[in-house]
Amino acid sequence: MMIHYRFLLEELRYGGKQVLTFVVCVALSIATLTALNSFRRDIHGSLIDEARALQGGDIIIHAHQPISEELEGTIDTLAQEQDFQQQSTLEFYTVALSEDKDTSLFSSIKAVESSYPFFGTIEIASGRKLGEVLKPGSVVVAQEVLERLDLAVGGLLNIGDVAFEIADVVTFESMRPVSFLTLGPRIFVSMADVDRLGLLGRGSRVEHEILIQLADPANADRLSETLSAVATPRVERVETAKNARSRVKVFFDNLLFFLSCISILTLMLSGIGMQGSLSAILYQKQNVIAVTKAFGASNRYLLIQYLAMVSFMGACGSVIGVIAGYLIKRLFPLLFRDLLPQDVGYAFHPVDALEGIVLGIFVVTVFTLLPLHRLGAVKPVMIFRHETGSEKPGAAPLLAGIICTVFLILLVVRQIDDLKIGIFFVIGLILLIGTVALAASASLWLLKRSTLPTLALRQSAKSLYRPGNASRSIVITLTSAISVLLLIFLLKLNLFATFIESYPENAPNLFCIDIQQDQKDLFQSVVGEEVVMFPVIRARLLSINNTMINAEQERQRKTDNLGREFNLTYRETLLEDEIISDGNSLFGDSKSLPSGVVALSVLDSIAEIGEIGLHDRLRFNIQGVEIDAQVTSIRSRTKSRLYPFFYFVFDSGTLEAAPQTFFAAMHLPKSLIPDMITAITAQLPNVSTINVADMADRFGQLMKRLSVIVTFFASFSIMAGCLILVSTIFATRLDRIKETVYYKVLGADSSIVLRILSYEHAMLAFLSSLMAVLFAEAAAWLICRNVFDIAYHPHWHVAALTVLSSIILLVLIGLASSVGIIRQRPAVYLQQQNSV
Amino acid sequence: MSSPILKAAHVSKHYNIGERRAVVLHNVSLELEPGEFAVISGASGSGKTTLLTILSGLDKPSNGRVWLADEDITDLDENGLAPLRNRLIGFVFQAFHLVPSLTSLENIMFPAELNRDPEASEKASHLLNRVGLWEQRDNRPEQLSGGEKQRVAICRALINNPRLVFADEPTGNLDSENSREVVELLLELQQEFNTTLLLATHSSAITDRADRILSLHDGRLVKNDIRP
Amino acid sequence: MITTIKPNVLSRTILLFMMAVILLAGISCDSSPPPEQQEPAENKTMTDSRGVIVAMGDSLTSGLGVPPEDAYPAQLERLLAERGHDYRVINAGISGETSSGARSRVNWVLKLKPDIVILETGANDGLRGIDPALIEDNIEQIIVRLKQEDITIVLAGMMMVTNLGKDYIANFKSIYPRLAQKHQVILMPFFLQDTATETSKNQADGIHPNSEGYSIITANLLPFVEKAITSDSQ
Repeated sequence: MMIHYRFLLEELRYGGKQVLTFVVCVALSIATLTALNSFRRDIHGSLIDEARALQGGDIIIHAHQPISEELEGTIDTLAQEQDFQQQSTLEFYTVALSEDKDTSLFSSIKAVESSYPFFGTIEIASGRKLGEVLKPGSVVVAQEVLERLDLAVGGLLNIGDVAFEIADVVTFESMRPVSFLTLGPRIFVSMADVDRLGLLGRGSRVEHEILIQLADPANADRLSETLSAVATPRVERVETAKNARSRVKVFFDNLLFFLSCISILTLMLSGIGMQGSLSAILYQKQNVIAVTKAFGASNRYLLIQYLAMVSFMGACGSVIGVIAGYLIKRLFPLLFRDLLPQDVGYAFHPVDALEGIVLGIFVVTVFTLLPLHRLGAVKPVMIFRHETGSEKPGAAPLLAGIICTVFLILLVVRQIDDLKIGIFFVIGLILLIGTVALAASASLWLLKRSTLPTLALRQSAKSLYRPGNASRSIVITLTSAISVLLLIFLLKLNLFATFIESYPENAPNLFCIDIQQDQKDLFQSVVGEEVVMFPVIRARLLSINNTMINAEQERQRKTDNLGREFNLTYRETLLEDEIISDGNSLFGDSKSLPSGVVALSVLDSIAEIGEIGLHDRLRFNIQGVEIDAQVTSIRSRTKSRLYPFFYFVFDSGTLEAAPQTFFAAMHLPKSLIPDMITAITAQLPNVSTINVADMADRFGQLMKRLSVIVTFFASFSIMAGCLILVSTIFATRLDRIKETVYYKVLGADSSIVLRILSYEHAMLAFLSSLMAVLFAEAAAWLICRNVFDIAYHPHWHVAALTVLSSIILLVLIGLASSVGIIRQRPAVYLQQQNSV
Repeated sequence: MSSPILKAAHVSKHYNIGERRAVVLHNVSLELEPGEFAVISGASGSGKTTLLTILSGLDKPSNGRVWLADEDITDLDENGLAPLRNRLIGFVFQAFHLVPSLTSLENIMFPAELNRDPEASEKASHLLNRVGLWEQRDNRPEQLSGGEKQRVAICRALINNPRLVFADEPTGNLDSENSREVVELLLELQQEFNTTLLLATHSSAITDRADRILSLHDGRLVKNDIRP
Repeated sequence: MITTIKPNVLSRTILLFMMAVILLAGISCDSSPPPEQQEPAENKTMTDSRGVIVAMGDSLTSGLGVPPEDAYPAQLERLLAERGHDYRVINAGISGETSSGARSRVNWVLKLKPDIVILETGANDGLRGIDPALIEDNIEQIIVRLKQEDITIVLAGMMMVTNLGKDYIANFKSIYPRLAQKHQVILMPFFLQDTATETSKNQADGIHPNSEGYSIITANLLPFVEKAITSDSQ
């Protein structure tokens, strides 16, 4: 069958705005997904690089004891067969002594071969490579070793039985980027020297590692499986760089997951937009189609013509989408600045473009199925009868719905890489749309029943029920679109409220732990100003209402478990960021408690986990002594989880005698913190200080950046949403224009015409956005409480703003689409009515 | 002698279609007396509808001027025309042009409601009874036959008691039986309301009953006869 | 200004932050079972007429990684009962506790009104390279305090891992016999006798004994505890 090019060209030319809308929808639908998928590939590549740098190899074998001969033998054999490199390292603590053995320092020794490391970097003060500097008989040490032992490069350092020459200073180790929890500074020794140290052998505690570098990293999983089979279970751990649980990887997986969800929603909204604009094109062409049919064109012929047209528009949209995707990706280095390893390549591969095009074809096919199917329903008789009777819908919409659903599930599953979540996601959406449809019918029915005070209001309400009206589908479309947009924003607002805004300027930025009872006064005098110190008492929970805590079961919990050791505290008042959510006061009426039972306030989060309620009896083992407590209140926290908090707060009294340390939280100007830390550690060496000023700063910046990224992606959804508004209103504007002409002929002036038009659009917008607010709030609440597990704030002002802006936007679009008629004489439009 | 209810002087209308200029009306001048029943006759394409829309202010002449009840409406804007359309004149169209979202009763009431007439409902009910469609008062246009639609349209045109009613081929979409009834109704009501009626038609049966016959041919007024 | 940002600013930021949060939230990383699972409710301290042995110590006493009934205090209580000694053994072990921690806790433990205390501490100090002089001072203060209350003490000796160096392990090891001698307390020379470095007697971490290891420890400990019981009943 032939494609009629001139026909096509004419259709495109007269399709005008709708054609443009369609093309933009296609482009929007694939732009962010293409960019995101391409970006995901880059990130995964660079994260694997980073994991290797952190681990030092493609595969790493780790054990607390010498690697078994069986495993070593297997590695040696395979190394020859498969041509890979291997090396061993040892790591242990020892007490190193200064040259004259007067001063000692607890240090972390790492024994390495000259090829160390395969991946990652070790930086040395002289700028040379570790392998070049670290000869047998010499050591490379951290600066701290020199300072604490009063040594210099070239001096001698005693480790075990050997005196080593200090060859250089190590300044950075990519495998050990955080020196936060290490007990002693680093000393590198050559593997060749290990045996003569006299430190290893029976009774020593050494971490053994074998690092493997592969010619082709893709073989890592296979080799890792082979080695795991030989390794001693629970003793020898075989890991690959790829499956190493990197927090960064988890973080980016989560971020990309969220962005993918937003992009899929954008795609869905665009799909609705496509469907709408194509329907509008075909609706405008209804008469042309009827005439063409009257002259003998078959459905098949017409279908092919319009299919060609849709394909053409889809192709244009896809190409624009891929180009847009490329441009968006060019922005990523700017957006993700500071978040990513610097060596991430932001390449755009042909495969990315191909993926975009394929996606475009799928999207267009799925979302144009229904409108194109309706072509067959156009009957030649329509030329003569203007009043279109509503056709009974056949199986087609159902079929189209099923195809859409299947497609979406496939897409979502592919995009977020999780079958269960994908199906939940799609089912959730379908439920949403179903509920919206029901609610739309109900609210329209209610509106029909209500009596409205003015002519313009009555008239606009009646217009919603004009024969052949599309009010229900408009409301469904708008509600779905607005609720999805609002949902994204509510989620974003709540996430950020939890993670950014609740960490205000004056939040504590220096924490001190392990202050001993007899050091309180000294600590106070060192700090100078008044500082609040919280007692910390370690204890275990034994039973709740005489039901023993089952440690084995508790450990299975994904959330915090009740079997672990808790830090208790006691005090008399609520903290600033706490409220009582259940109970009259923190400790109620203590006289009402049985003797020997202590009043206890429990935090809501742990109360939920342990199903602990008011008046429950909890028994604790406080360092050997058992104490019974009765719950007198449940507390909630109003601020971020970045504040320190205590699950269990006891009434002061009983616990004051328990062994305890103190914990202090302070807010200091950032510049004063280093000096304060120095002062504290000089006077109270056992006190650990945690400076979170930098972390808080960085965390805040990080969150702001994330906010920008999410907003950036959400803006595409907004664009798609606006397109839906525009295309929906334009698609149905002919009906409104017709009625407006009648009003004018009957003597309506511009003010009443404007009012009727505005009210009609305002009613649609109000109904849709009101329902959208309800749905979005409900969904956001569910997701925040059950998925993210964060407090939910409804942000009603945002909801109100959504309703208001929907109304304004829709009224403006509505007026823009039909305002021409207000200033013009009606004859022109009447003739148009007559001519068809 | 009272002043004319409608007056047109040297009215022309042309459209530019690309480079071509199509002249639809050429230098038409006429006057109508209050209470007259005038018919514009002529073949299809002679310019009847165009003349009617220009005279009624639904369209603007390219040249010439139009007065309605002594007011020059030629340069009035849409808001200036709105009260005239609402109160001074009424329309009946070939294609009925009833508001699809309103019932028969509501359609008839609408102009009165625009006029803030507190008795809109009573007047509309009375008219609907008068034309024998009370049973169909809650039906929407799609549920009415052509003849019924046109009778509703006539009521709508008359509800504000206009001094002038324009009817453009009111029987064009009706069978002969309905045509006859609609014409009878129009004329009866014209008498009752003492309205001027200007009706475009090519039906000689109607033309025969007119007080004045205006004949158009290729956009020119070729005859302006008053029947004795 | 740092110009060469090391591979991943973010990873470190997040890591640091998580740690800070974890520390502040009071989430200690161990998730070991509670040291003992006694029948709740009935206030035994009131009604129980048995003698009280308090097992004070670190994770080696609390039984990190083994079921509570397999940790040595529970095994010891059963063994003593079999041999006709009417004693309750309370597990007062705290994972990760150093001698400084034990010293600050001693008054609290006295609330349990022990007749005998088995004191096992110092291993965590050693693994952190703490100065042996400080460890010795702490343990000495604990002994002095317990003696004030007329409590019979069994001191569990400890040894340090070889890799810390000959000087350190020698200094460390000598603390226990020296104190036992000085204060005339019963000394079990090495708490982990026959289990240390024996792969089959330890858990996968190579440090903490498994249930079998605890049986050996309990058997080794028994004569010293019986000696304490004898001296206690005098």
